[in-house]
Amino acid sequence: MGFAFTEENLRELEALAKRYPSKEALMLPALWKVMEQEGFISVEAMEAVAEWLGVSPMKVYGVVTFYEMFHEKPLGRHHIKVCRTLSCALCGQSGVLERLKERLGIEVGETTEDGRFTLSQVECLGSCGTAPVMQIDDTLYENLTPEKVDEILKELR
Amino acid sequence: MSEKVKKMVKITVDDRTIEAEEGAILLQVLLENGFEIPYYCYHEALGPDGNCRMCMVEIEGKKRPQISCDTFVEEGLIVRTDTENIRRVRRGILELQLVNHPVDCPVCDQAGECSLQDYYMEYGLYHGKVPKAEKLHFEKHLDLGRNVMLDQERCVLCKRCVRFTGNIVKTGELGVVERADHSHIATLPGRKLENGYAMNVVDLCPVGALTSKDFRFKQRVWFLTSTPSVCHGCATGCAIYIDHAKTKFEDDTIYRFRPRKNPDINGHFICDEGRLSYKALQENRLREARAESSSIGFEEAAAQMKKMVESWQGRIVVLADANLYIEELEMVQIFANRIGGKLHAPLDAYRDPAFEDAWLKSAMRAANAKGVERLGIDTSMPSSRGEVLLINFNHPAAGDVKARRQIDLLTHRPETFADLTLPIAAWSETSGTLVNEAGIEQRCEQALFPNDPVPTLMTWLEAWDLGERCLV
Ligand code: SF4
Ligand code: SF4
Ligand code: FES
Ligand code: FES
Repeated sequence: MGFAFTEENLRELEALAKRYPSKEALMLPALWKVMEQEGFISVEAMEAVAEWLGVSPMKVYGVVTFYEMFHEKPLGRHHIKVCRTLSCALCGQSGVLERLKERLGIEVGETTEDGRFTLSQVECLGSCGTAPVMQIDDTLYENLTPEKVDEILKELR
Repeated sequence: MSEKVKKMVKITVDDRTIEAEEGAILLQVLLENGFEIPYYCYHEALGPDGNCRMCMVEIEGKKRPQISCDTFVEEGLIVRTDTENIRRVRRGILELQLVNHPVDCPVCDQAGECSLQDYYMEYGLYHGKVPKAEKLHFEKHLDLGRNVMLDQERCVLCKRCVRFTGNIVKTGELGVVERADHSHIATLPGRKLENGYAMNVVDLCPVGALTSKDFRFKQRVWFLTSTPSVCHGCATGCAIYIDHAKTKFEDDTIYRFRPRKNPDINGHFICDEGRLSYKALQENRLREARAESSSIGFEEAAAQMKKMVESWQGRIVVLADANLYIEELEMVQIFANRIGGKLHAPLDAYRDPAFEDAWLKSAMRAANAKGVERLGIDTSMPSSRGEVLLINFNHPAAGDVKARRQIDLLTHRPETFADLTLPIAAWSETSGTLVNEAGIEQRCEQALFPNDPVPTLMTWLEAWDLGERCLV
């Protein structure tokens, strides 16, 4: 399963290159393009990006795994991102996460068999005041409890 | 900066005055002057990275402790390395480093040469705040290829291994993936280490995260004696330590070769092939003398050699291995002259262009090829016209010389035995000098003292009373 940027994406990236001090600095824009194009970033895509940037594939892999917004596998239809940082952790994030795992029957990083949900943990979502929080696709859910999780999932089904 | 005249300035460290080069990395200066500063990420060959924060010292005039790997020497700098505050800071950093560490020192091969262990003993709290069950878990037995094993749980993320593969060999196989406390060292999925210097990361790793598949579980490091020597894998002559031990009921045994710093030759590193060449060195050794296929005693063998040489009427050809020490080669030269033999040390037999690379590895796979040339020894193959007595001092291509009679002096067992075969001590069992390709002389100390030593080449030649010119 090879990977190649579409002509158009490649043209856009080349145009962007002028705005960056070095080609390596285009790492994030290039990875966003891959996400846009494929929905996830395969090892083949990382290798292609690395070659295009002139860096080692390992460097690209490090960046892909560092940012929560990049994914190595195709996602489910809904992407559940549970905050795992301090405020949320102190305010009961673990109960929320446990309930999600139980209801969905998957572990963090997995996708349900029907392809509906992918469960992830992310760093601070910037809403510590309403901890614990999670984001599903583009919607933020605040002041969560295990019970609220049940309701939210029902709506999404 | 490097070509400018070095300006020396004075700095004060713990009330001691030290002279140091202006602009030098403070940590390096402190280490060279014998101060004990804990550190992980800095390495002389890799430069500073500033990620481990262990190397903190107090600098007068600075509010907070500073990392000494990112502090540069300037006139009048006042440094304190061992205050109560510094100890507290180091203890704090160590505590964080141990949050997810498995503390499996009893089964870890790094135990005894582990920085984490050493610093913990020095600064540790001796009781962890994180219960073992709550620690994060990662892969503990990842085979990275090329004899390198990774235990992700033991890693302190100093990135020395990443910087070695990225900046020194430039193959970039290793990297840090994920973030925060999930960070760990990995290769690209489906990929492994794929460079011929990979095992250096085992030496570079300050903890037990990277261990050698070849060495692990074989010997505790505190039983090892390190003897300075030189790799015989090629004419580069990388400086090494021979790590060996003579344990109960066992003979003196080599467990590993390690690079020894030599800025003029190999820096801090050696190639994997040279590193593993200790195996062939101690396997299949010849330990007894043989007259054709029957074993004879050493005295008997020496007498037979003398008789064979003295009664021979035809041509005599002497072959010398280009791995012998200068002192041995000189003695062989004197010997050849004395008996009227023609000495050759053919070098073509050692040429291996496939081995060569742009860094350390040389196509000339003999440690003392330059020494042979210096002594003016003929480096061509001898012709084998007429009736020839061949006296072979361990040369690998002796089989290509046609001889009527043959005396072999060998370190290792041959496939077929000559008329007379005498065992000689290998380079690890004697001492001497080598001249590397660039003309640099290096001394190799005797590392092994076997229970039943075989005679050295020098000992076999004593019967000719060649003098004491060469002291080994
Ligand atoms: S594996 Fe060893 S050398 Fe590499 S980052 Fe971890 S501790 Fe440092
Ligand atoms: S480069 Fe040559 S001398 Fe150096 S370690 Fe390798 S084989 Fe030995
Ligand atoms: S810690 Fe969860 S939103 Fe900040
Ligand atoms: S050695 Fe200075 S921060 Fe690691």
